[in-house]
Amino acid sequence: MEELILKLKQEIIEVLNLEDIKPEDIDNDAPLFGEGLGLDSIDALELIVLMEKNYGIKLQDPAKGKEIFKSINVMADYIQKNRTR
Amino acid sequence: MERKALDYVALNQGNANLTELYRAHIGDWPKFFKMDTLSKAGFVASELLFKKIGEKRPEGDGFIQNRAIVLFGSTASLCADRNYQETIQDKDNYYPSPALFVYTLPNIVTGEIAIRNHYRGETSFYVLEEPDAAQMAFHLACAFQDRVTDSILAGWVDSSRNDDFQVFMTLINRADAADTEWLASQLQLMINNLNK
Amino acid sequence: MDRVIRCIADNVVSPLGLDSRSNYDSVKAGRSGLARYESMANITTPFVLSRVDRKVIDDLCGRLGIKGNYTFFEKFLLCSSLQAVRDSGIDASSDRVLFIVSTTKGNVSLLGQPEDGIDKERVLLAKAARQVTNYFGNPNNPIVVCNACISGVCAQIEAMRALRSGRYDYAVVIGADEQSPFIISGFLSFKAISDEPCRPFDKDRKGLNLGECAATVVLAASDVRKSGWELVCGAIRNDANHISGPSRTGEGSYLCLMEVLKECRRQELAFVNVHGTATAYNDEMESIALYRAGLIDVPVTGLKGYYGHTMGAAGIMESILSMYAVRDNTVLATRGYNEQGTTYPVSVSNVTRECKGSEFIKLLSGFGGSNAALLYRFEE
Repeated sequence: MEELILKLKQEIIEVLNLEDIKPEDIDNDAPLFGEGLGLDSIDALELIVLMEKNYGIKLQDPAKGKEIFKSINVMADYIQKNRTR
Repeated sequence: MERKALDYVALNQGNANLTELYRAHIGDWPKFFKMDTLSKAGFVASELLFKKIGEKRPEGDGFIQNRAIVLFGSTASLCADRNYQETIQDKDNYYPSPALFVYTLPNIVTGEIAIRNHYRGETSFYVLEEPDAAQMAFHLACAFQDRVTDSILAGWVDSSRNDDFQVFMTLINRADAADTEWLASQLQLMINNLNK
Repeated sequence: MDRVIRCIADNVVSPLGLDSRSNYDSVKAGRSGLARYESMANITTPFVLSRVDRKVIDDLCGRLGIKGNYTFFEKFLLCSSLQAVRDSGIDASSDRVLFIVSTTKGNVSLLGQPEDGIDKERVLLAKAARQVTNYFGNPNNPIVVCNACISGVCAQIEAMRALRSGRYDYAVVIGADEQSPFIISGFLSFKAISDEPCRPFDKDRKGLNLGECAATVVLAASDVRKSGWELVCGAIRNDANHISGPSRTGEGSYLCLMEVLKECRRQELAFVNVHGTATAYNDEMESIALYRAGLIDVPVTGLKGYYGHTMGAAGIMESILSMYAVRDNTVLATRGYNEQGTTYPVSVSNVTRECKGSEFIKLLSGFGGSNAALLYRFEE
């Protein structure tokens, strides 16, 4: 899981252009949206693409995304359980 | 009466690195790193212009309605278009990117500048074949027919590829645009500096 | 007195007709160009689109005498503008005529699919517009308004200003967009598209539909008032707090409405033709703007249920149809609407209503925080 969490953080930083942020700066339980990393709706849509591209998980409903992208831990957990790649 | 020449900022990929300029002179707008080259160029040029003329952003929640942004260019969002196209071109690697698609409209540059500076005035983007000073001066003068507009952040911005851009940015007020011949001559000086 | 700006000719080319009158009649009869597509090119998610038959456009170009190596987008611009220019009787080769094109993506499909005999540089919007000015022998440099979805209204406003300046006597304002896989896939990636016909202002609305259309108005400047449609005023305002999400308070649309209301004779206002894209946010935002501007009781009409979102053409086509509707004392039904679905109860209906009055407001908003409105008045 540690490996997945680190990989996920690196992917998020790259895909969302979080230029000045390093994996160690992201708290595993901190909210990704609103406070925390302050991501927005376009970022959420990019994360949906990331899920499919890197882990083979298709999310049709963006509303479901809000729950899954609650925090790094929640996201990693969901990926672990549902990945097809 | 001798009119004061218009201040302006002109940048291109040959004389400027947008990321370095951002870090050296701006630094407090992480959104910068999400922008495509066109928006980065427009954004950085506008920030450097405001520094040059000593204009500060409004404090708190204040908004400005009497400042318009009117930009011109020939490539429009071609750079972003090419980037986005890559994400849909290959059937076997088909992952349309919303973060790239959002920049496939050149007026987004005006939106980014408006967000940063709390503008609520007119924002427009016109595409021309080339930077034509007289044509630009004419349309800038037209924009002042909106009585609310007292000043316009005006400029030219182009980017056809990620590592390619040309931009100039200036601020004009109603009096500047009343004499379109003079305004055109000022814009011509800026156009001449687009590729230096 | 400011020069009076009059609309002296108009044209709409769409799946619902090849001229304005047949488009209006089709819409009044309740016909829609919307169809569901299960896939297209590399796209495998279903979407709803109102798509123009390419062969119909080629045949129309043939009948109009338009020959030459043109992209679909350029043919679209030409077949609409040529009809309008002919109807207007103006000499489009005069330097007193300004051509303004409104489009969001022009020939962008050339990026994915280059065409034989078409120079790659026609992907540049002004180069595509140059095909039109060259066709008419017009000596002026083309100008393209590329201001997201509000471009069609902006182009009319810019034409009005250019004519008021005294430098031009006529403006040919043409709006069009091709719904290529580029645009469709992009909106799908935003999860903004409904896989059913769209439902503007409805409580169960789930997204927009896309559409293809080319529309033209020919505007003329005059120092005297004459009978006919007058473009009275317009305004463009930005309210971006996020480049792709509408303002939660409808600030920009509200500011635009307040500007055009300054010249509006309220008792003459027949209706407001809104953007009404049927996304959760847009329609909600427009209802707030209308309420704040004191227009909550004014009939509202939206055309996206017949045409889908036609991007660069929207502001022009929707204005033209509104002109025909006002002259017909009709508030066109907002196809797809069923049940009140916004915080403020806008006066929208899915049946045709009667109206009185000689003025209408056209309202639009788009990405990048853009908003625009204009006011047209029919002078007897």
